Amino acid sequence: MALLELRDLSVSYGEVRAVEGLSLTVEPGEVVTLLGSNGAGKSTTLKAISGLVRPRAGQILFEGRSLMGCRPEEIVRRGVAHVPEGRRVFPGLTARENIMLGASNRSGLSKRQIRAEADAMFELFPDIARFGDALGWTLSGGQLQMVALARGLMAKPRLLLLDEPSLGLAPVIVQAVFRIIAEVRRRGTTVFLIEQNARMGLSVADRGYVLESGRLALSGTPEALWANDDISAAYLGGSRAVSAAG
Amino acid sequence: MDLVPQLLFTGIGIGAVYALVALGFVLIFRATNVVNFAQGEFSMVAAFLMVVFAVDLGWPYWLSFLAALGGMAVLGALFNLGVYYPLRHRSYLPVIISTIGASILLANTTLALYGPQPQVLPGWFETQGILAGGVFFDSQYLLIIGVTAVLVAFQYWFFEHTLVGKKLQATSQDKEMASLLGIPVAGMIMLTFVYSAVLGGIAGILVAPVLFVSIGMGSTIALKAFAATIIGGFGDVTGAIVGGLALGVIETFGAAYISVPYKDALGFLVLVVFLVVRPQGLFGERVAEKA
Ligand SMILES: Nc1ncnc2c1ncn2[C@@H]1O[C@H](COP(=O)(O)OP(=O)(O)OP(=O)(O)O)[C@@H](O)[C@H]1O
Ligand SMILES: [Mg+2]
Repeated sequence: MALLELRDLSVSYGEVRAVEGLSLTVEPGEVVTLLGSNGAGKSTTLKAISGLVRPRAGQILFEGRSLMGCRPEEIVRRGVAHVPEGRRVFPGLTARENIMLGASNRSGLSKRQIRAEADAMFELFPDIARFGDALGWTLSGGQLQMVALARGLMAKPRLLLLDEPSLGLAPVIVQAVFRIIAEVRRRGTTVFLIEQNARMGLSVADRGYVLESGRLALSGTPEALWANDDISAAYLGGSRAVSAAG
Repeated sequence: MDLVPQLLFTGIGIGAVYALVALGFVLIFRATNVVNFAQGEFSMVAAFLMVVFAVDLGWPYWLSFLAALGGMAVLGALFNLGVYYPLRHRSYLPVIISTIGASILLANTTLALYGPQPQVLPGWFETQGILAGGVFFDSQYLLIIGVTAVLVAFQYWFFEHTLVGKKLQATSQDKEMASLLGIPVAGMIMLTFVYSAVLGGIAGILVAPVLFVSIGMGSTIALKAFAATIIGGFGDVTGAIVGGLALGVIETFGAAYISVPYKDALGFLVLVVFLVVRPQGLFGERVAEKA
């Protein structure tokens, strides 16, 4: 049974049809990437899975059970953690406090236990170990991404949803972030990764899907997607253009 | 009697009441991004509950106090469910109007039940106070200052050292992200309203023996507390406390040295000066940046 299955998912914002008839699966233990350019509907797909937006039609199954109509609080309690676009680290809380709050979906933990787990997270994220007591708003983009990832992992999710973790980061930091994603999967967490940066996305993924204007355009293994001329032209070129501009 | 320390003591006492109500403003503002214009009515209702329990029914003072606070907790919960919750996805304007409507409703319900006659609530202590070092320490003002200090310390501990406090802060900073982490956002906002109603209630009960218990006391206190939050910097907890104390002291000195009838005007003069010269307040960020 697939860990996550989307069946004919459609999401609209009023008149805007952001996602149309999207079907895909994520198997346990996989890293699956969803690629697409600006406005393709990638974030909307993740928001539908984690309960932030209500789909207009279709079905979302997690471990075979529907997530439709569940509130975000319930969905994360069932084991789906969403690290959203823009990191969304709480600016007025410290890095450690942000990470500790990642465990809010798990009940019965004392503050001491959570703190110990948060401190253990810094081993996976040595770059932010020194910034545990720094307030969110003082952190750099790379540090914010690390905090957001660590906070997501604190939920002990069975499925981790990552929305463009490489966005706006310097190449070295992007490398570090992707090393962490590889480590996360090695430890047994399934990852559904959204990227505009096709090169990075496909470098860690087992399979990839490509969205275009809300519809599924292509899917397959990284090798197959690379071999596809349209993809190389649209997304390899696209990501080069973006990184050259940034 | 030394006038200056005496005025300082009284000013801090009355300022502590403003600070408590201002804290209620700030907590709700941070949780919902909306000013609760019924915050002052929380104080008024609590004072009337106290009159009902302690004077009309003759219950012991402590029991009346606990019962009044229990009533305020229920009122805070109902307020959240009836006034804020149905409008939570709307912009701030409908919510503000809703709180103004609630404030009118609370004031007029109290008026209908109790009539326009101001009521008298005796103080907690039999003794009037103590004279020490040339300053008369009024027992009710001592109580106000003591309770405020304890509440401020409690609130600091709660927000800085408990997980629930951190979750409340997270909720006030980014509700959507908080919900993604599994923080029960609706529950956190409920807690904020209940706590703010109790806080406003304590302020009303403490100040009632100093003022009269009247329908209008809520709006008077709320205006001062609102001024205090502007002076302190809107949305800032420390600012609310410092602003409240400063306003109490300024008012008291103004009444003594300038004019008693104009003491309220003086408070608002300070408010206007702050709005013009330093709109972000003593501790706050710029309002424009917040918006
Ligand atoms: N809250 C919203 N209200 C209205 N339209 C929206 C909203 N959010 C997204 N959209 C629209 O839905 C479409 C898909 O947006 P989405 O954010 O899912 O794209 P994306 O693939 O994540 O893009 P990006 O790479 O820029 O993050 C876009 O046309 C966007 O303008
Ligand atoms: Mg996006």
